[in-house]
Amino acid sequence: MWLARTRGHRDALASVLRLVRFVNSWSVAFLRLSTCALIVSHLACAGEAALPERDASQFPSDTSLEAFPVEVVDDSGVRHRFQAPPTRIVSLVPSATQTLLALGVGGRLVGRTDYDQLSELAALPSVGGGLQPNLEVLVSLEPDFVVRFEGESDQATADRLTDLGIPNFAIRPDGIDDVLSSIERLGLITNQRVAADALLEEIRGNLADVAARVEGRPRRRVVYLMGGEPPWVAGPGTYIDELMVSGGAVNVFDDLEGLYGPISLEELITREVDLVLVSDEGGSPDLIDMEHASIPSWVEVPGPGLGEAASLIARFIHPEAFP
Amino acid sequence: MRRATWAGVLFLTLVGSFVLSIWLGSVELSPSEVIAALSGRGDPTNRLIVVQIRAPRAVLAILVGGGLALAGAVFQALLRNPLAEPYILGISGGAATGAVLALALGLVASHSWALPAASFAGAILAVVLVLRVALAADDRVDVRVLLLAGVVVGAFFAACIAFILSISDARTVRSAVLWMMGSLAGADWATVATVALYTIPAAVLLTGLARPLNLMAIGEDTAGYLGANVESVKRTAYVVASLLTAAGVAATGVIGFVGLIVPHGVRLVVGSDYRSLLPLSFLAGAVFLTLADVVARTVLSPTEIPIGVITAFVGVPLFLVLLRRSMGGRQR
Repeated sequence: MWLARTRGHRDALASVLRLVRFVNSWSVAFLRLSTCALIVSHLACAGEAALPERDASQFPSDTSLEAFPVEVVDDSGVRHRFQAPPTRIVSLVPSATQTLLALGVGGRLVGRTDYDQLSELAALPSVGGGLQPNLEVLVSLEPDFVVRFEGESDQATADRLTDLGIPNFAIRPDGIDDVLSSIERLGLITNQRVAADALLEEIRGNLADVAARVEGRPRRRVVYLMGGEPPWVAGPGTYIDELMVSGGAVNVFDDLEGLYGPISLEELITREVDLVLVSDEGGSPDLIDMEHASIPSWVEVPGPGLGEAASLIARFIHPEAFP
Repeated sequence: MRRATWAGVLFLTLVGSFVLSIWLGSVELSPSEVIAALSGRGDPTNRLIVVQIRAPRAVLAILVGGGLALAGAVFQALLRNPLAEPYILGISGGAATGAVLALALGLVASHSWALPAASFAGAILAVVLVLRVALAADDRVDVRVLLLAGVVVGAFFAACIAFILSISDARTVRSAVLWMMGSLAGADWATVATVALYTIPAAVLLTGLARPLNLMAIGEDTAGYLGANVESVKRTAYVVASLLTAAGVAATGVIGFVGLIVPHGVRLVVGSDYRSLLPLSFLAGAVFLTLADVVARTVLSPTEIPIGVITAFVGVPLFLVLLRRSMGGRQR
């Protein structure tokens, strides 16, 4: 325990120093690169891990276009009008990419990001990262529909896409409802409503099943640790928090400011914690005497795997409810 | 070689770099496709790539690279310190604080101009603070005090950034990191026009200060005896070079190394007469950043390497070669 604490202090200090040096000096270009790669890859773009198998071909394509033109509002509040379902799609958001695959329209994808490493996408040209993608490659793919992250993370890309006349649809999959709504809207836009409804039904079914199983059981105090030093946790408003709560837990850090954020190791040690869920990707501080479980990284993709993720997390929290 | 010859060589190199910059990219285009796109014919997608993406980026690289190198040369002259660079007086810290604040308050999502505006405001705040601190010590600007004030103000802003980021959520941290790495990727014609509006008059004004800066290199008192208005030169040089830096930082984030290494490189080649050094630094900085940007976006295409990495990777060996050559020359 003592060891863990000293390490925490030292590394907290080191990371503050790192930030300070960011600003002043060119000599840390390296450091900037690696830290950014870490943050970006872990928090925004974790998407390469294999998702549970899903057979998209079971859903027939909607053949009739009677719903079109459709109007759909994206998460930045912009209303988009689609005369016909888009045929050349680039998704900068890995979870949306997986949703599109699950809806059976993977064949309409004309590009991917470096973070989409599913084998069925490997042949597509990459536009680089999902944030600050390579504009010129993106333009050269002539997409008629780009899915991007909503928010200030990369407003420049959004503005540039709009300037260049490329329809860009913003999604922000923070909570469960956001994820469900983005699945519904992507289904509407791609004219795959049947598939989207089936997928939503499946996810809602899992959530209901989990809720029924954990009902009446004592709520366990759980932390979701994403790795990093100081460690980052999932706070309120995230689908991870909601999955924990629906799985019969109390999020120990439900007072966190912001969605995901760093906590001090002391907080982790002093708060009453029954179980720590540790992201597989992040690596973790020493949890010598804490009960913990390792969470596969596909859980951190808020897409079609949400239903499975709900069951998986609940199973860790209340194994006795899943005999 | 004479100054004019060097200017000619650098200018031609700049033209060459510009051509390279709009020809090369992640998407392969033949020279004829590029020419067609530039003359408004050809494939509309190619036109978009060349005219709306590559060309503004190349022009921005010229303006920002030239501006940073020129500002660096002026700061080195003004502070009589070889370690001086455009960011040494806290400008990058002020700009970054403004940018991070705008990101943390969520202003950026609703107003796209908020980020450059906030970083520019932050940079100006830093300039004002530094000048106030320096003038509080003495009513004449002592360059040593100015330097110290800059470093202290910079440290203060760095602490502000660390604080804001530590209480911000992941999205803000992520975008702040992206911003602070510096990038030309956001270049569009509106940005280019705004930066040009600052850079061109500032560059003309600063090159005009070459003679008094030459005199001041001998010593402030001597310069005064020889008829230079030392106080006014110092303040003008400081404020204008800072504005020039601020405009660049607001448009592209913090791009390091150009402002430090290019003036030194030029000095090693043409000597320290500011009448040659200042304009040649601008040209050399423009060439350097344009080429660095070509490398940054082609080497690992489609992923872009942060341009600061390239400026350091290419700049350091280049500088060492120059340094070695000039030292060798001196010993012989």
